[in-house]
Amino acid sequence: MVVRPSTVKSAVILREARLRAGLSQVELAERSGKDRVQIGRYEAGAVAPSLDTLIDLIRACGFDLPLDLKPLEAAPDKQLTSLWQLSPDARLERMLRRVDTPGSS
Amino acid sequence: MSKPPFDPYAILGALERNYVDYVVIGGLACVLRGTDEITTGLDICTSFNADNLARLGQAVAELKRSGGRAVEITDDTISREPPLAVSTSAGELKIVGTPAGAPRGFVDLRRAATKEHLAHGLRPLVASAADLARMVAALDRADDLPRLTELRRIVELEVDREHALPQPPVAPAPPRRRQQSGRKLTR
Repeated sequence: MVVRPSTVKSAVILREARLRAGLSQVELAERSGKDRVQIGRYEAGAVAPSLDTLIDLIRACGFDLPLDLKPLEAAPDKQLTSLWQLSPDARLERMLRRVDTPGSS
Repeated sequence: MSKPPFDPYAILGALERNYVDYVVIGGLACVLRGTDEITTGLDICTSFNADNLARLGQAVAELKRSGGRAVEITDDTISREPPLAVSTSAGELKIVGTPAGAPRGFVDLRRAATKEHLAHGLRPLVASAADLARMVAALDRADDLPRLTELRRIVELEVDREHALPQPPVAPAPPRRRQQSGRKLTR
């Protein structure tokens, strides 16, 4: 996938909804009345759909995308980012250490 | 009776030694992708191929120390709900044929899965963060919400990193040879 940072959210959520619904891109195009090629471009992250188009497509998959405003939490993201910078091997070792010594973080 | 200590390396080692085709999913895959959680079992999604299931049975026998006798694993046993959970000397191994959110199972997941370097020279195939998010979302469990949020954020971070990496230099095209007409220039 050639997803770009600016289109990743819509690309991932749309693909997730379609695959969970067990639909092909052609079937989703038929259900939603959108062009199949355009759906492919949205999923590939080449372009981002408008918010309304995205909601239409998600609904055609049998899901909803509720929009709700919440305060932004920056702290968990900082922790996640620092953990994510470790190698997979280091992440596993860190977890195994925590299994051995419960309560440690 | 106390549970045996969880040793993912021992389980993965047995699977590798027996050439089993599988993708690591579940909690351990999430940890390998970067979520902050603790798990004491290994979940895998395996191919339904009969030869592969026989090799998996051999690996399980090795882990259960059942005197080398292969444990019979069929496509029926791994299609059941709840998934087949095998208690081994190195912790629990859960074998899933078609996880929620991935109706084609192994075939679905191996496409985006990547081999990750772990200790002891192990290189298991681990489900992608996007596929893990899809599976977690499909389970629709309230307890999984923090994990789902983390996985979706990890997908974004991975894309950011991909774009931040310097692109390999494009080799200049070799100069085109001028076609010789074969006609000699004469004065």
